[in-house]
Amino acid sequence: MQRSAAAVSVEVKQVIAALCRLLAATGLECVPAPEHFRRAKFGGGPAVEDQFWQLLANIQQKCGFVSCEPRSQLGGATELRRLVAAGLWQTGYHADWIKDLLLALGWLLATGTLEKLLTQRVEQLDKTLILTPSPVNHRLPTELPLDSASVRRLQWLVGSLRHQGRTLLSMQEERTCLLHAVSVASLPSSVSPSSSDQSSTLLRKDCVCLQQLCDLLEAYLNWRQVEKVFWTWMDSVVDGHLTDPVHKKSTVAPNGRAARCHHGNCGLEKLDDMLLRLPTRQKGQGRVREAPEGRGEGGLLQGRSDSCPPRLPCCPLAYRLHTERPVRHSSPPADGDRGGTPTAGGLSASQAVELLLQTEALLLERRGRQRLANRTQLQEMIGRLDELVLIPP
Amino acid sequence: MSVVTVQLGQCGNQVGQQLLHSLLCDAQDGQRKELCTASRERFFHQDTHGELVARAVLIDMEPKVINQSISRAARSGMWRYGETSHFSQKQGSGNNWANGFCVHGPAHREVVEELVRREVERCDRLSGLLAMMSVAGGTGSGVGTYVTQCLRDVYPKSFILNHLTWPYGTGEVIVQNYNSVLTLAHLYQLSDAILVHENDTVHQICSQLLNIKHISFADVNSVIAHQLGSVLQPALTADSQGAYSRNPLGELVSALCCHPEFKLLSVSSIPQVPLASMAYSSFSWPSLLKHLRQMLISNTKMEEGIDWQVRPPAAAERSRSLTAGSFNTSLANVLILRGKDVYSAETAGFEDPALYSSWLSPQEAFSVWKSPVPFNKYEKSATLVSNSQALLRPLDSMVGGAWNMFASRAYIHQYTKFGISEEDFLDSFSSLEQVISSYKELR
Repeated sequence: MQRSAAAVSVEVKQVIAALCRLLAATGLECVPAPEHFRRAKFGGGPAVEDQFWQLLANIQQKCGFVSCEPRSQLGGATELRRLVAAGLWQTGYHADWIKDLLLALGWLLATGTLEKLLTQRVEQLDKTLILTPSPVNHRLPTELPLDSASVRRLQWLVGSLRHQGRTLLSMQEERTCLLHAVSVASLPSSVSPSSSDQSSTLLRKDCVCLQQLCDLLEAYLNWRQVEKVFWTWMDSVVDGHLTDPVHKKSTVAPNGRAARCHHGNCGLEKLDDMLLRLPTRQKGQGRVREAPEGRGEGGLLQGRSDSCPPRLPCCPLAYRLHTERPVRHSSPPADGDRGGTPTAGGLSASQAVELLLQTEALLLERRGRQRLANRTQLQEMIGRLDELVLIPP
Repeated sequence: MSVVTVQLGQCGNQVGQQLLHSLLCDAQDGQRKELCTASRERFFHQDTHGELVARAVLIDMEPKVINQSISRAARSGMWRYGETSHFSQKQGSGNNWANGFCVHGPAHREVVEELVRREVERCDRLSGLLAMMSVAGGTGSGVGTYVTQCLRDVYPKSFILNHLTWPYGTGEVIVQNYNSVLTLAHLYQLSDAILVHENDTVHQICSQLLNIKHISFADVNSVIAHQLGSVLQPALTADSQGAYSRNPLGELVSALCCHPEFKLLSVSSIPQVPLASMAYSSFSWPSLLKHLRQMLISNTKMEEGIDWQVRPPAAAERSRSLTAGSFNTSLANVLILRGKDVYSAETAGFEDPALYSSWLSPQEAFSVWKSPVPFNKYEKSATLVSNSQALLRPLDSMVGGAWNMFASRAYIHQYTKFGISEEDFLDSFSSLEQVISSYKELR
């Protein structure tokens, strides 16, 4: 079915408007207008960027990804960006910044942040809610018996749980209907002034809360119905991000290494410096001795000094967002979903972590050997000096 | 917490009308306000004039029985059916399951769904759907199965309980075994629980207990309605916390039919005495429960002629199938006690692990519901809804009879011409054989 571009664009705008309404209903303060989403797709400009920075910061503070500092204390835009970057890093998002604020938002939405915000807001608004206890982890026996009686029993228990679930669902539906009826019946206009001001104020407050709760749930339901369109649009944002020549150029740094994220740059550079310094120093010391052990050590050191130090490979660590798509278990598979396979030269977060751990182990091992070599050397030196005894620590 | 009754075919419409009538008659007494309110709310709603209108939909492929049921209800003066809550056609299904399932069902799907939807929307909270039908004919069985399928599609999370009336073994309809097999095999996948009354058994109750000389379908239906009513009238359950249960179908299904291979339920109730003898009879809970327990174990549906020799097998004998031949093992039971001094009734006899299979403890397998209000003029009455081997023999003979006919392909062409193939028959046979085997191995 051919649909005109205009119709699609109108639909997308409506869907984004639904998302904005939902985000506002969850209590977020800095929700950009739907038009700004469209602008952000094509770069947006500083004003639009600022809005998205604020939004991301707000989301992260509410969800607890970063510590809750009052906005006034944030020392300007740079601080804000650092905060957001730190929060996104924690959720597993690493990418370039300029157009990726939109992608960052998409990432957060896909990783269940919306549901988190929703739950928080519902808990704030619904005074009657009995907070469900965290699911109890029943410890299953380590060896499950596989005889037919046990299997039958398990099937019975599964069936029983299913029936309980259905019963609870129907109770929930009834409760929703009743709440709706109560909220409709007790709209402010129909609330008659009671004898005590306090109770009427409380009633009004309750009404307002319930109304907000209903609006929130309605907004969420509306969003869920049209969510698919949003993710399709996000696909186009990602596509645009990939094919954008400006962006491509900016992703390749002058020294030929692929782009990395803000924090990764600093950390990587520091680590590189450390590693560069290390072999150079040892090279100088290692040449002095020629003990058999030392040869091994020296040889090792020699070898090490000769060979390229095991620098953290910059290329694999420079992952790009487009190499992995956050897949939500609840979202329907988007048509352009590319799964989690890294492209050539990119690494997924888990692989990078593994690489870092390996490097750490390597460096620790090297440090250990170096210490041993140093001690041996020291002992020999002391041994040559008369009337001196070394008591090693 | 309402139950919407869907009455299908001749039998379904007759039994349904009797059921609703007996429920309302029982709930008339002004003293039992809570029970009356709960019962009325469950099965009826009030129209603008304050009249009680049944939460029911009547469906049949011919108009005669529906008209009779509607007028009978109206004549009672206490309740009526909704004016537009029925659907009928001019011509029946010819006792042909395939005609009902493949032709009539799909042809009238939208109308039927709309009727049910209207009733469901009138409920504040839907407890579940009760579909009532027989399995021998064409409409109740074929259309009934199709309608159950539609209900399952439209209300996937609701509890659906099918009440089936099994035909006389001697045969009311020559292809009744085919119709029965096809119905059961399909319903097993769709329904949450299948509650069965056998005409043969109820007939015996009428003749031996109630001393009715010339037994008509009305008498049979009246006994079925009484037994079903004693199950569905509100009661206090373990979950209902001092109020009448608001989830009768859910609790019944959860107590008895958690395993997908075990969905067949049978009902026994005690006492069953003629109205004339009621004044001279006195009942005690120990005696009633003792008899009922033995009725369960020996698989008899009447308090007369109980075989007291049947005993639960000792632990050592449980594995031997021969000695357990006459003993009826239960998977789960719900005991419903109604009447005076109900809280003093001692039900420990039903908690004996020997009564149940080895993989479900009596605590999980046995539930008691109580109501201090007597039911249907019995000062004390006890009803047992049982998921046990009680229906194994009639099911086996039904499948056996159908298979014998199928082996010679007798009358198969009448089904194939409407779209039911031999493969469908074979599938139905194999699923019922699985059910039979599961119940046989219940130990």
